[in-house]
Amino acid sequence: MLNAMVVVSAPRQAWLTQAKQPTPAAVKIRALVDTGASGTCIDPAVMAQLGLTPTNVAPMLTPTTGATPVLVEQFDVGLVIPGSSAKHAPLAFPTIPVMASALFAAQGFHALIGRDILRHCILNYNGDFGYFSLGY
Amino acid sequence: MGNIAMALERELAAYEANLETLKAQEGKFVLIKGDDVIDVFTSYEDAIKEGYQKFGLEPFLVRQIRALEQVHFITRFIEPRPVEATA
Repeated sequence: MLNAMVVVSAPRQAWLTQAKQPTPAAVKIRALVDTGASGTCIDPAVMAQLGLTPTNVAPMLTPTTGATPVLVEQFDVGLVIPGSSAKHAPLAFPTIPVMASALFAAQGFHALIGRDILRHCILNYNGDFGYFSLGY
Repeated sequence: MGNIAMALERELAAYEANLETLKAQEGKFVLIKGDDVIDVFTSYEDAIKEGYQKFGLEPFLVRQIRALEQVHFITRFIEPRPVEATA
């Protein structure tokens, strides 16, 4: 589990600034690193807080969908994972597509960090000591 | 995509209608507004940027061109929010 921040994507923020419209504040989230997720998923409540509308739809299979994929909304967002200390630069994605999926809050997190993000990192899991590290 | 009533329905229909032509640029990202294919871009960010520059907060579609659509697999027990629920 890690802390992250979701913001409007860089191009959306640029348009809002140009149009002299307010930029929604960043939303702090708890996210689960999930190597079993091919793409990053975020609770729709987060997208609602940012006032986002979808820019694509994507087919998704989960244990709840059965064998037939369900079409879910996809949003362009910015995602920032802070460094482990002030000395370490954050891992920042100014514009990435994420999918909307619910029931995260009840499980103690708002997002799954999927392999679309993990492919930019080195993930080490130390089962003996019960921790992981994410290098980038 | 069937007859699902949803946001971006026209754009998705336009994508399907133009897929044969778009396949020549598989892997790139297409920007579609309404029934019109606006342009094709090398990167996702460039396509999104052009979408906001041209259309602001109006709906537009940015989609990676694929001959076979990629299905996302999520092994965690989560509830995808189907697009029908938000139409």
